[in-house]
Amino acid sequence: MRPPRGGGRGGGFRGRSDGGGFRGRGRGGGGRGGPEGRGGGRGRGGGRFGGRGGGGGRGRGGRGGGMKGGSRVVVEPHRHDGVFIAKGKEDALCTRNLVAGESVYGEKRVAVQNEDGTKIEYRVWNPFRSKLAAAILGGVDNIWIAPGTRVLYLGAASGTTVSHVSDLVGPTGMVYAVEFSHRSGRDLVNMAKKRTNVIPIIEDARHPAKYRMLVGMVDVIFSDVAQPDQARILALNASYFLKNGGHFVISIKANCIDSTVPAEAVFAQEVKKLQAEQFKPSEQVTLEPFERDHACVVGGYRMPKKQKLATAT
Amino acid sequence: MPSSSKTNPGKVSVMARESELIYKPEKELVDGLFVPPRDPRKMNKILRKTVKDTAGAAWFDMPAPTITPELKKDLEIVKLRDVIDPKLHFKKGAHSKGHLKYFQMGTVIETQFFPSRLTKKERKATIADELLSDHTHKEYRKRKINEIHEKRRPGDFEKWKNKGRQTWKRAKQRRK
Repeated sequence: MRPPRGGGRGGGFRGRSDGGGFRGRGRGGGGRGGPEGRGGGRGRGGGRFGGRGGGGGRGRGGRGGGMKGGSRVVVEPHRHDGVFIAKGKEDALCTRNLVAGESVYGEKRVAVQNEDGTKIEYRVWNPFRSKLAAAILGGVDNIWIAPGTRVLYLGAASGTTVSHVSDLVGPTGMVYAVEFSHRSGRDLVNMAKKRTNVIPIIEDARHPAKYRMLVGMVDVIFSDVAQPDQARILALNASYFLKNGGHFVISIKANCIDSTVPAEAVFAQEVKKLQAEQFKPSEQVTLEPFERDHACVVGGYRMPKKQKLATAT
Repeated sequence: MPSSSKTNPGKVSVMARESELIYKPEKELVDGLFVPPRDPRKMNKILRKTVKDTAGAAWFDMPAPTITPELKKDLEIVKLRDVIDPKLHFKKGAHSKGHLKYFQMGTVIETQFFPSRLTKKERKATIADELLSDHTHKEYRKRKINEIHEKRRPGDFEKWKNKGRQTWKRAKQRRK
């Protein structure tokens, strides 16, 4: 399925020589690596580039290419609220660092000095490591996550994407990050120690009742749980925490749901499931150059009836 | 171009601008103090002037910097990046037509995990310098420029040399 591109929107960058400070696809632009311990066996790049990750057992992306330390860039606002683009020799997606001077997972940063002498930092957001960034570059129309929103993040893992979401919502927003695995939850908690707007929750997202006392009403639910029953998990959490007329962003990995049927069929089937649970999916983008057989679906929850009906009668 | 008070970098220019707005001639002061006008229209005008020009809360109040000739050059060169290297392709971006208004100039900080950094020699003060410093591209650029010159030069063939009005016309046509 191709991303539904609206005319002249200019969502992100096109596939090749750009996003996240990556030049081309084949330069060890690896997947999520070791510390997260999930989503294994991906083998990107059609076998041409010998799998994923950099050498030396690190399995992290970004070896070699990308923006080098000391190079100059222009940082400008992206179409999405709270997101920025750094343009230099290459383009990179960025978020404004909430905790200046800190790098969460070894990502690159951009230092900026304003005219009045204040210093700001931006963190480079790697689309190969974050599905939300991949969705933005895929040209999604609206991510609904903006400064000041409250977000429930299911499947937070080590908190790499969560840290960027925390940057996005800013000091006035809130991120509730749910992760079941203790191992990656440890990284998540360490990250949350420095970020006051992140609340880490080490619980199973299948049982929202267990953490209902920690989470308030939220505007957006982002779900990246990669489980066969992820639609049900999302619906359960939405019934507890998502406000009426709120929004959801779900990343669907076709292999995790049904590896026997083609990816498109799986996506369609998941969208059907969501529709049955009072969700109203509005768009679907593939995360293709960055993830294989993944789709990102965005939509609303218990959307209010259109006013048109009232005027007609 | 910018007035003398604005060319000073940093705080000085901001202070100067603010004082310009607040400054009133002696006769408009009441007992030596500035009294805000009672007319709400005038008051709103003053308030509107004092609000700083930013990209808004959605982008964390990114300011609009004072455009200096160097900044202008940098923005132009970033816009024309695809010409520098034939193998790099860039998406146009939202501001492909007009000039950028809200932006910031930054420097990439090197990380300890991936020691990829520019050497001291490779570091430049502006983006324009940095993008144009690569010598491999310099050759490409030169070749391209020569090609264009070659194509537009009138009369590289004996027959087409400028000898009168007619040939001049023909040359002009070719140059289009």
